Amino acid sequence: MPTVTKAKSYSTQFSQWFHAETSIAPLVVFRIIFGLMMLASTVRFWAKGWIDSLFIQPNNFFHYYGFEWVKPMGEVGMYTVFVLLIISSIFIAIGFFYRWATLLYFLLFTYIELIDITNYLNHYYFISLVALIMCFLPAHRSLSVDVWRKPSIALSKVPNWTIASVKFQLGLVYFFAGIAKINYDWLFDAMPMSIWLQAKTHWPIIGALFSEKWIAYSFSWMGCIFDLTVVFFLLSKRCRLLAYLSLVIFHIVTGVMFPIGMFPWIMILATLIFFSSDFHQKIIVFIQSILKLKEVEPIEYNSLFLHGFKKKLLTGFLLSYMFFQMVFPFRYMLYPGNLFWTEQGYRFSWRVMLMEKAGTAFFYVTDPKTGKRGEVDNSQFLTATQEKMMATQPDLILQYAHIIKQEVESRGLENPIINAEVYVTLNGSRSKLFIDPKVNIAELEDGLRHKDWILDF
Amino acid sequence: MHLVLQTLLITKIIILEPPAKVGGSFLAMKRYTPIVFIVFALLSLGSCCTKGPDDEVEYSDLFDNIANNMIVPRYAEFQSDLGALEMSVNAFDASDVSSLSLIQEQFKAAYLSWQSISVFEFGPAAEYSALLRANCNAFPANYSRIEENIEAEEYNLAFPSNYGAKGLPALDYLLFHSNPSDLLIELSDSSRMLYIQDCLADMQGKVDEVVNAWDSYRTTFVGSEGNDQNSSLSLLFNQFLYDYEKLKRDKFALPAGFATQFGIPLDADTSVVEGRFSKMSFQLIQANLESLENIYLGVGEDGVDGVGIFEKLKEYNAQSTVVDGDLAVSIQEQFSVCKDAISQFTNDLPFEIVHNIFEVQETSNQFQKMVPMLKNDMRSYLSVTVTLTDADGD
Repeated sequence: MPTVTKAKSYSTQFSQWFHAETSIAPLVVFRIIFGLMMLASTVRFWAKGWIDSLFIQPNNFFHYYGFEWVKPMGEVGMYTVFVLLIISSIFIAIGFFYRWATLLYFLLFTYIELIDITNYLNHYYFISLVALIMCFLPAHRSLSVDVWRKPSIALSKVPNWTIASVKFQLGLVYFFAGIAKINYDWLFDAMPMSIWLQAKTHWPIIGALFSEKWIAYSFSWMGCIFDLTVVFFLLSKRCRLLAYLSLVIFHIVTGVMFPIGMFPWIMILATLIFFSSDFHQKIIVFIQSILKLKEVEPIEYNSLFLHGFKKKLLTGFLLSYMFFQMVFPFRYMLYPGNLFWTEQGYRFSWRVMLMEKAGTAFFYVTDPKTGKRGEVDNSQFLTATQEKMMATQPDLILQYAHIIKQEVESRGLENPIINAEVYVTLNGSRSKLFIDPKVNIAELEDGLRHKDWILDF
Repeated sequence: MHLVLQTLLITKIIILEPPAKVGGSFLAMKRYTPIVFIVFALLSLGSCCTKGPDDEVEYSDLFDNIANNMIVPRYAEFQSDLGALEMSVNAFDASDVSSLSLIQEQFKAAYLSWQSISVFEFGPAAEYSALLRANCNAFPANYSRIEENIEAEEYNLAFPSNYGAKGLPALDYLLFHSNPSDLLIELSDSSRMLYIQDCLADMQGKVDEVVNAWDSYRTTFVGSEGNDQNSSLSLLFNQFLYDYEKLKRDKFALPAGFATQFGIPLDADTSVVEGRFSKMSFQLIQANLESLENIYLGVGEDGVDGVGIFEKLKEYNAQSTVVDGDLAVSIQEQFSVCKDAISQFTNDLPFEIVHNIFEVQETSNQFQKMVPMLKNDMRSYLSVTVTLTDADGD
């Protein structure tokens, strides 16, 4: 039974490390960075007019399966939500009513993301998860207004799991983005990288290189290897600086090349958490000197060290969370067909910038009594963005058919027959029929089961 | 791009510098290097945010050609056509049938030149005070509303409720809905004539406003960077697509009975065609198609073939995924196919819908064929984000 004992000793070691204490500094710096980045993102979102164009202008919204009950709240409501997001992100940064601020931020941010699935971005999902984790972390117990108001809560040490859970979540994004890149198109066809680079060939000096096939291959392979390995190099003390440097370059390059908004900058700053406590302590000293803050010395020795059942419960909870996060992206294996084509099990799996997909969807309504048939004017129902997203995703095609059905029935045409002729191109492939044009989509119900009306790629 | 180069340069320096040889000073530096990196990251953040990625204005030659050789002269032409129409309306003599036919001719010219500016509904034309499409061409006109307004002699054409009672469709009704001799009698009524003049003045006011605004907007338009929602590339492409889809549906599929309204399949209704009374339906469609084709090819109002979307697609060596071969050429060919399909009809659209529905359906299919070429292929290659927001990052 030596292997069992060995495994047991590993798990004990792990558990010990998990609960052992370390400096709170990285967590505090992360809190400040997170708060400020969320503040910047929210202000940017507002300034770009997206509150109006995404939550007020559309006549119809696409729901997440199981979250059909989430609705936008109208103009006053939506702007109020954003004001609260701004306030709570400031509160997070300065550590003021931290628990309430993180909870409020998590709930409101998740709420706005749930309103319309066509706005889905992996990095929004990432923010929601981090905000959720932040609710449980004692990130306000040093260098915060909360500590200034109530010095007795000050902490200088926190258990390893607190910082590790943030690192885990960050690492997961890179690692799974890397796994997703291990596919034939990406590695052996340099697709869709070739298409993306082709569009940048007019850039001065380096533009000419972008039409070279080997450049597309290098970008593809480098991206894949980077994503798969960077988190391990960041964890290693020896390679950390170099890994971080390559991370900065990687994100700046992708940020310059693609319209991916705040994401690169959030990642560049968030991954600072991988640096040592000393490094973060220096940042804290720096912030204190700039703002002329005095250090609040912990009055008594506080510790978050848990014992017995509570310790086991926490370990169990964190391990299940990690397990879920690592298994969930693989749920696509339960579905037949090409993942990129059907997108069944595609979301919430860190599949970022992986494919170039475009679609055109013609919807037709037939009156079953008269046989009269006509093409739907998509612009009467959807915004241009919604239409574009819908045209390549089967579950949204289904939802759209139901949106049409509801409208038509409210106008007195019962049981309309709704067909869709959808042409989709994936990674530059021939545009072909995406779903069965003969199937009456109005009769189908959404669900987690395989959608057998999607045609083969 | 220089930022990336800068980063690469710094990397090189750091990697190449072996710590042993630099000695103490390096060790001292080493403690601060992480901080240097944060500062650097923040700096790059700042400079990248203010400077868009596509700031070399890759499309400036296209925008320049479209603004100077299409938008500005096309608006000017519409403006002068409206001016000419106004003059002939003012010179109207109820006893002279030729003065009516002059008005009718001028109207037709104005309606045709409208077709070449409807696509530019962004920037000044999309301002709430202008909204040219709604104000100038909301067809079919609301005839009873027009008659009520004239009867009442009291109306405010600025109200959105009057969109259907003014503009070119209203003039189409007022100037053509009856035979010339009856029209002459009708138009001798001064309140009717005044209504026509008010409709004209309303349009002229809007167009003048847009033309003036273009003086300063032109620089913004040509110098626009990137492809986010307010970039010229996005505005131009989205309106190009929208104008094409409105042509396909409102001007063709709707009267022919191939369309739906809020999802309800509609019967053919020849009364909803554009230019119903002047019987210009096909001419207007053809003019609209040509206007879009010229933008696509880059042909200016002076007939000179400059930089258009065609040239851009050629530059990218774009391939079509909808048909075989070169994308730039296949879209060009599809434009020709559509134009040929329209020109084969000898009567106006209402007649053809009643007597020749098979050919009308065939033409509609050809219009349809163009859509995936624009949405699946052209959009990808021009990396136009109809997406208003960010794409998924990595």
